Amino acid sequence: MSALPSPGTRGFSRRTLLAASTAALALVAAGCTSSPPDERERVTGKQADELLGQVAVQETLVAAFTAAGAADPALAGQVAELAAQAGEQLERLRDAAPGATPSSTSPGTPPSQAEARSWLRAQVAAAATSHATACVNQSGARAALLGSISAGLRGQDGRLA
Amino acid sequence: MADEGTEDLAAENEALGLALAAGHAAVWGYGVVGAALTAADQGTAASAEAAHRDVRDSVVTLLSQRSVEPAAAEGAYALPFPVLSPTDAAALAVVLEDGAAAAWVRVLDQAAERTTRELAVEALTGAEVRAVGWRTTAGQNPVTRALPGLPPQ
Repeated sequence: MSALPSPGTRGFSRRTLLAASTAALALVAAGCTSSPPDERERVTGKQADELLGQVAVQETLVAAFTAAGAADPALAGQVAELAAQAGEQLERLRDAAPGATPSSTSPGTPPSQAEARSWLRAQVAAAATSHATACVNQSGARAALLGSISAGLRGQDGRLA
Repeated sequence: MADEGTEDLAAENEALGLALAAGHAAVWGYGVVGAALTAADQGTAASAEAAHRDVRDSVVTLLSQRSVEPAAAEGAYALPFPVLSPTDAAALAVVLEDGAAAAWVRVLDQAAERTTRELAVEALTGAEVRAVGWRTTAGQNPVTRALPGLPPQ
């Protein structure tokens, strides 16, 4: 067990870390990376196609929240925040994938009201796995975005357990 | 291309160094967290600390293999706020995990190697999953994040 630091101990690295992270992540958010930017931000045709595929995955997940809420109205209220976050993730993905157009991908229908939650959880977990897999095939800001979305959905998965 | 590859790896190594610093801070910080938690939650803190140790060791090994000197941990760290209760401890754990998440998103952004992205997405996911639990314990809302590790647009 570590003792609380006494006054005058060296500065907490969190400050350094967060300062560095803030500066670095501002670049991520802006889609700008340090040298050499062209390599990491260059998108191959395969990467572009895969990113569009991840937009479709997220659209299906957003539709799954709607479907689960329709099957179990009480669940809809419980997962409203999670649904909003899934929508935010979708918007960021669309921004990162020029040419992505909204589609009407259906996730199917929850088997029953009683199983709506577990069905939704499975949809969230599947989307998280898909984004994580796609993340390692991308680079630069696209990899950062997909990895972040995947992690966010894993957090949701835990909440739905 | 060789020069570009070297430059790519330099950026990746620099980002890994930040992730290592976050890991050092987390390992130290969880000592404080565990001391202030109830007995029921101390196992969770110990598991989290172990997870950070594992990731930290992986980064140290990776950097050493590349002949990059891994940064050592600080002797001590100043706390961002007093940790006087289990709720404070959980809030500190959130800070530690959020810091780690930000550092690993940075690695994803800078990584040139696929294997590094695999390491990064796993570490980022672990940090966010743990953070969700700690936000719950700390009474924070919302407990999940749409885009962990990324700054708001």
